[in-house]
Amino acid sequence: MTLRPPHPGSLVALAILALVAGGFFALLRAGGSGSGIFSIGPYLVQVLIFSLVQATLSTILSLGLGTALALALARRRFPGRDTLLAFLGTTMVIPTIVAVFAVLTVYGRNGWAARLLADSGAGPIGIFGYPGILIAHVFLNAPFVARVALDALDTVPAEQWRLASALGFTPRQIFRHLDWPALRTVLPGLASLVFLLCFKSFAVVLALGGGPGRATLEVAIYEALKVDLDFARAASLSLVQVAICLAVASLLQKPLAYRPAAATVRGAPVRSDARDRRLKAFDSAVLILGFGFIGPLALSVLTGLGHLGAVMDADLFQALATSLAIASAAAALACCLALLLGAAARHRRFVLGSPRGASLFELIPNLLLAVPPFALTAGLFAIVRPLADPALAGAVLLPLINGLGSLPFVYRSVAPRLMLAEERYGRLSASLGLAGASRLRIVDWPLLRQPLGAAFALAMALSFGDFGIIALFGGPELRTLPYLLYERLGAYRFDEASAIGLIVVLVAFLLARLSGRLPYARD
Amino acid sequence: MFGRIALALASLCLAAGLASAQTKPVLTVYTYSSFAGKYGPGKTVKERFEAVCNCELAWVTAEDAGSLLGRLRLEGSDTKADAVVGLDMNLAAEAKALNLFAPHGVNTEGLTLPVAWSDDTFIPYDWGYLAFVYDSSKLANPPKSLKELVEHPNGPRIVLQDPRTSAPGLGFLLWMEKIYGDGADKAWADLRPRIVTFTKGWSEAYGLFLKGEADMVMSYTTSPAYHVTVEKKNQYKAAAFDEGHYLHIELAGMTKTAKNPELARKFMEFVLSDAFQSAMPEGNWMMPAKASAASLPEAFKDAIQPSRTLLFTPDEVRENRRAFVDRWLNATAR
Repeated sequence: MTLRPPHPGSLVALAILALVAGGFFALLRAGGSGSGIFSIGPYLVQVLIFSLVQATLSTILSLGLGTALALALARRRFPGRDTLLAFLGTTMVIPTIVAVFAVLTVYGRNGWAARLLADSGAGPIGIFGYPGILIAHVFLNAPFVARVALDALDTVPAEQWRLASALGFTPRQIFRHLDWPALRTVLPGLASLVFLLCFKSFAVVLALGGGPGRATLEVAIYEALKVDLDFARAASLSLVQVAICLAVASLLQKPLAYRPAAATVRGAPVRSDARDRRLKAFDSAVLILGFGFIGPLALSVLTGLGHLGAVMDADLFQALATSLAIASAAAALACCLALLLGAAARHRRFVLGSPRGASLFELIPNLLLAVPPFALTAGLFAIVRPLADPALAGAVLLPLINGLGSLPFVYRSVAPRLMLAEERYGRLSASLGLAGASRLRIVDWPLLRQPLGAAFALAMALSFGDFGIIALFGGPELRTLPYLLYERLGAYRFDEASAIGLIVVLVAFLLARLSGRLPYARD
Repeated sequence: MFGRIALALASLCLAAGLASAQTKPVLTVYTYSSFAGKYGPGKTVKERFEAVCNCELAWVTAEDAGSLLGRLRLEGSDTKADAVVGLDMNLAAEAKALNLFAPHGVNTEGLTLPVAWSDDTFIPYDWGYLAFVYDSSKLANPPKSLKELVEHPNGPRIVLQDPRTSAPGLGFLLWMEKIYGDGADKAWADLRPRIVTFTKGWSEAYGLFLKGEADMVMSYTTSPAYHVTVEKKNQYKAAAFDEGHYLHIELAGMTKTAKNPELARKFMEFVLSDAFQSAMPEGNWMMPAKASAASLPEAFKDAIQPSRTLLFTPDEVRENRRAFVDRWLNATAR
């Protein structure tokens, strides 16, 4: 057997692992007073239990609402549907502080919901604690779940729809044989994604939790990094978090679902179940409920509208330009890495016949999600620091860390399409001797174009709304919009901050709308 | 031929670059983001210092005092910071332990701080008392003391900051320890039902308060001055507590590794000058550390004057913070 050069995706995987490991070692070396992680004692256990419970509940609710919305949207056509779809890709990137204030504007003591309840004679609702945390998490995640699930439903080939209608499938049979297999390809990945996001959710949990009993491990990591300056402890706590997250994520991904698909022609499907009367009522209920929940929260972002004029200045436009530049670099990086990783996973699964090997690659995006961004940033900063001055270090590390941060999301939309392309055309292209660039152009690209564009826009939006990392690097020379937002908050200018928050959300919405307008893949 | 021209041009550029670098030395000052931001005092300080130092002042920012310290620790002795503005008393011992700071050599007599100052590493540049801020149009009878707030079961609902992630949060924890000592557990348990939530930082808490989620928020005695001066709103007040208020002092220092120690020292002197001090009240919404009462803006003169100043020394904070935080966790985490 000859030694072949490794797949470029394998190199990418190794590079990412090396980067993360390097960050951890740098943190451990930067050291600290060396107090063990167990000195937190029973509190750590309590935090872990709370994190697991709230993340599980958030995941179940987000997936439930998201999937129901996706099915309803797949079956229904109505005016404004496109705008709605663009809007679905937006909530996830709302800066947490904006999301927290949105939840309070609607469900808080003086919120819309509270006033409605008061008018109808019911008592006030207590938002702090589980209700607030779950509402915020579902608001941030369910629309994203709906968007990705809807994308998956769109991959069902037209032949199958024709066959279903020829055989007179009942709505139940349609769900079982057409919708469910399509959903099954994305739901495990989405579940682990949402779970990880909620498990380490930090500012939302602190603000809406009500007390320190409702905190996530991320608080302990933050405290160790920022207050105790005990970097070794931060590193070991991060390892605990990574271990738990990876264990849960691999459990969720165990049924590595992918469905064999033989069909090759696809058009706009004619869904016979759209005519079913009971489903019509059900879908309407889901849509009303879903948007009755998401809509007001999203609308409350508009509170910044009246103060837009006050924030329009040179600083703002410079920050906007900086944000866009960093976001596009990060998105480009994330897309390249996701394509290479996905290609490597596909290679393992189909060419080498090793689904186990493939799933190892699929764990890497989850690993990146599980790593606390502050700890990773601090570690990488410690490595880069002696080599470059702060401004340069920031300019290099920001796109890198933001790119790595959005890789899990990009991977989620790109990888299933790569697998699909292989399933549908793999044998054909092998028999035709298609390989390399021409294969990418003819076989993969048509299927990839749309999700990749959408993923690029999403990655941009995610990095656009990021504050956690910019907090470490930002400064007069490297100011992004979220950075400006927090700067204004620190100077009591809450109205101006809400206007900047609105601009962040608007840009994210435009990016999502743009990605939705990219030509749909036709085979 | 072309090579020679290129070489000549390159050396010219190099020479010009060096020359410009020589005429204007750069003083790099680390601070937190709202200090250097649009409404912070950073711009004024930069302009005024550059007018007298024949140098350039470059701000490098971190999120807050804690991140500032974390960054210094990460960078260690190859930090680019010549000076740091924005640490506070509760971090002072940790900061000193980094062994990065040089004695400031500035005469600190005549400070208008509520406490005597003798530290030779850090200079206080502004201060404020922690206080609960409330809306007097909604809360007519605020508690008159911390004990009244804590022990009155029907008292106002308050929003606090998490002491593990926030400076005023830690300040309030220390306040409780000062008043209650060993009884702090019980006091926290008594207060617990009326704590709406603990937020990550001051901004979230103040935002919650402005949205009406709580009757009072942990902030500073100087906060109402902002509402009066900028928003022309008079209803926001700080509640005066009989037992006294916990003091928050912000600090500046210069590093041992400053590239131009003379310039850094000059900046340390500048921190206590009128030019710097007069930028603090309406730039940072804190009391200047050295100011004549006459130069204080009107709204600041109305700030409540606590009868007693509560303060742990930096070393006490460093020794006890872990134990205090753990006690707070056990008393409030459910």
